[in-house]
Amino acid sequence: MSWQTTFTAMLPEHILLVGIVALIGLEIASQARAAFLVSVCVVTAAVIAAASLAATGYAMAPFPGQFSVAPEALLAKAVVLALAVPVLLISRNDFADAQFHILILGSLYGVCLLLSADSFLILFLGIELMSLPVYVLVLLALQRTESAEAALKYLVLGGTATATLLMGSALLYGASGSLSLAAFAAALGSSDAMASVGVVLVIVAFFVKAAIAPFHTWAPDAYEGATVPVTAYMATIVKAGVLLAAVRLFGMETVPRPMADMLALLPLASIVWGNLAAMRQQSFRRMIAYSSIAHAGYLFYAFLGDGAGRFQAVAFYVLAYGVMNILAFASLPRAQDDTARDRLDNLKGLYQRAPFAAVMIGIAMLSLAGIPPFPGFVAKFLIFRNVFAAGYTTYAVMGLIASYMGIYFYLRVIQYLFMSPVPSHVQRPPYGRAVLGASFLCLLAGIAIAVFPGWVIGQF
Amino acid sequence: MGDAALLDGVLFLPLIGVAILVALPSLRDNAIRRLSLAVMVAQFLMTAWLYLRFDPAATGLQFETRLPWIPDWGVYYQIGLDGYNVLLVLLTTFLGPLVVAGAFTAITKDVKLFYAMVFVLQFTMLGTFVAQDLFLFYLFWEAMLIPMFLIIGIWGGERRIYATLKFVLYTAFGSILMLAAVIYLVYSLNATTGITSFAFADLYRAELPLSVQTILLAAFGLSFAIKVPLVPLHTWLPDAHVEAPTAGSVVLAGVLLKMGTYGFMKLGFPLFPDATRAFTPLIMTLAVGSIIYGACLAWVQTDIKKIIAYSSISHLGYVMLGLISLDLIGIQGAIIQMVSHGIVAGGLFLMVGMVYERCHTRELAAYGGLAKLLPAYAVFFALLTLASIGLPTTSGFTGEFLVLLGAFNATWPQYQQGVTLPLVLSAGAVTGVVLGALYMLSFAQRFLFGPVKAPHQPVLDLNLREKLILGCIVVAMFTLGLFPAEPLSKTELAARQYQALVASHRTGTAVALRTVEEGIALRPVAMDSALQTPRGSAR
Repeated sequence: MSWQTTFTAMLPEHILLVGIVALIGLEIASQARAAFLVSVCVVTAAVIAAASLAATGYAMAPFPGQFSVAPEALLAKAVVLALAVPVLLISRNDFADAQFHILILGSLYGVCLLLSADSFLILFLGIELMSLPVYVLVLLALQRTESAEAALKYLVLGGTATATLLMGSALLYGASGSLSLAAFAAALGSSDAMASVGVVLVIVAFFVKAAIAPFHTWAPDAYEGATVPVTAYMATIVKAGVLLAAVRLFGMETVPRPMADMLALLPLASIVWGNLAAMRQQSFRRMIAYSSIAHAGYLFYAFLGDGAGRFQAVAFYVLAYGVMNILAFASLPRAQDDTARDRLDNLKGLYQRAPFAAVMIGIAMLSLAGIPPFPGFVAKFLIFRNVFAAGYTTYAVMGLIASYMGIYFYLRVIQYLFMSPVPSHVQRPPYGRAVLGASFLCLLAGIAIAVFPGWVIGQF
Repeated sequence: MGDAALLDGVLFLPLIGVAILVALPSLRDNAIRRLSLAVMVAQFLMTAWLYLRFDPAATGLQFETRLPWIPDWGVYYQIGLDGYNVLLVLLTTFLGPLVVAGAFTAITKDVKLFYAMVFVLQFTMLGTFVAQDLFLFYLFWEAMLIPMFLIIGIWGGERRIYATLKFVLYTAFGSILMLAAVIYLVYSLNATTGITSFAFADLYRAELPLSVQTILLAAFGLSFAIKVPLVPLHTWLPDAHVEAPTAGSVVLAGVLLKMGTYGFMKLGFPLFPDATRAFTPLIMTLAVGSIIYGACLAWVQTDIKKIIAYSSISHLGYVMLGLISLDLIGIQGAIIQMVSHGIVAGGLFLMVGMVYERCHTRELAAYGGLAKLLPAYAVFFALLTLASIGLPTTSGFTGEFLVLLGAFNATWPQYQQGVTLPLVLSAGAVTGVVLGALYMLSFAQRFLFGPVKAPHQPVLDLNLREKLILGCIVVAMFTLGLFPAEPLSKTELAARQYQALVASHRTGTAVALRTVEEGIALRPVAMDSALQTPRGSAR
């Protein structure tokens, strides 16, 4: 194997690595002001690299059995990296130093590793590399005590997930004698007790990472404790990374009965609980956290479907969901401090002051609620269509009814935006060009998905 | 080809209107109003041209556009006019300019957003009517909630938030079950015929066992019945009507409610004919129940908007009765009744809005002797009242008379065979006419005549703009009442097609109802193939 193949196959990763090194250099040279531009360019370059490799149908296994790329994996990387671009843009007002960007790029490197993993070794490495910088990122807003609490909670529960994953892979290794991901897919229908427990533990680890009830309790605190760009990062990119890695883990295998029930019931509970709990929140980020718990539920529903359609459904969903989520975060008006900014009351009468931002948040909320013609609807339709096609009619209908419960709290946000009087004392600093750029980027992507859903789905 | 593009133009013109409003941020409120009116009038003229060009003798879709949209799923952007929707499209675009002009002085807050939302509403309603693909239909059907939510919630009365949330949550619940049914239906079609398509024409060929048809009809029917609304699913309607601004009420009564009956006519009944026939007595009971219960409730209301709101429930009950009678005259009557109610109830809500702008109250007790104060207003109001009652020469008469005639046509033979319930129900529907006269006349009498009570301050009679709006309504109402043959000829083929579809038997092939217990691949289990192939013997 020549160095060229390794170079090409890992091009997105290499670009990120170069970026991290450059950012550290900038930090040492006290040129942190350039960090923002460098990281945006680096991630954009990585997106282009991943997307163009995927477009040429490139497939290679530079480290056989450990790390391989195929168009599907490259496309997944492109989606996740593309979502990172607007997240970096909205960090403009919150983070002026290079630290933030180094950590984000490091975490993205982990996601890329995760999406190319062929063995539990690389999977573990990827998950850890993805998560560790996020613990620090949550802590970066240390002016508030909740941040420390949130970071600690996140760290402890994240550690539990890691331990569960290791335990599960150890059991799978014991049962099959292999650390390869294929062993997991093969063990899905196995009657061997050790293998089954291993499978369940690995799935539970993914449930914790994706915040599926009853393993979701870290999410509201972590989301609320972090600053807006970090919350956006967790809600979209970490979630997308975990779910796309799960797609890779399950492979083409159709999930057989007892496992399928677990894969339906806990996500269903997640949808119900996430949607119900979100109704009572007064904090925007906490509400989005519960919303993301519900959305993780829809995403895991996709695993009930046929193995061949799974990647398409999940990738399209995380794209539509991520774009709309970031749109909402980008349009969140600024306030005197972060806590005030996070309060839902801050959104009251926003249409009077900033009509564009209000309409953007409104679109994002309707899309998250799954109301057509917004992108979230087609994404949800695709997942439920696959669940119906796989024969799980009852689960599909229950999932749809549970999704209905979510409509109320999204509408409540719109009610605040358009139907409430403006509190007179509110002073709102301007958004800034980078944040507006992120809004437009997300809006354009959203329009493209809504108007040409067939074309976008065809890409996956 | 040119006319097909014109229909696309009619559909998308409101969106162009929105784009203009967004692109010109410095537009003054008055300019926005005039621009919106111009767009709506243009839309109506384009539709009127299409209506004139509509060939009553041609079967199938006219002015059709069909483009692949989500090819992998068999979803097409397919729109077109046929006898089912041609009058409703005309009605929608006819009410559009009147709604816009009626809101000139009533809406002073966030004028731009208001007209943008009216445009979006117009777009989604027209889309619902012209869509010939179930996916597209569902998209428009559901998207319609958003502008209505904002219109009631921003410009509504005191309890507007409650009313608008109730409206959206009620209707969205029906929609979510319909979505499940849509997906299931498309998969069943795929299983029996091998084609994946959302096109109505293809879905009419779906063969389903009676049990599945019943469940799917219930899911579709719930969604449509909420929108019609059929008693007992009507409780959102009075709240929404009362709290909505005039424009919202007019659109709600004039067009939105027809989406429910149109849904039954175009989808609910023809897609699941065997289940429809099996449940005809139940549907008929609900329809007649709505006629009588709506009329009784209208009688006891003290809020003038609520009187008209409940009268809508009663009048839409006739539409349902006509549709379920499966008699050609009854079906034709139902279509005319839809249009007639759109014109008359729309006009009445506009008139209520006009008097509310002057006196700022909706309490009937506060009014009296308006005929002395506002003579022109009283003339128009009396005419609309008569149309609402269904006096001959008005559109209300044509609709109700044909529906009742059709209902008796259909139920008399059954009575002769010893089945009495349908005939009793038809007879019950007639009492609705009497009740209608009772509540509308007593309303008009207390409102227009008697000693002068309100308003306390001197008020002006109708101005030219208002007279023009109401003049259009009255002309339309008499045209439909005096010359019903022309519109009826355009809908006749569709009515016959509907009749044939609902009369057809489509339980021919048995499809395994897939449940959680049997996660098996869906496949048709036709009787003969089950005997021939060894695979079928496992069943």
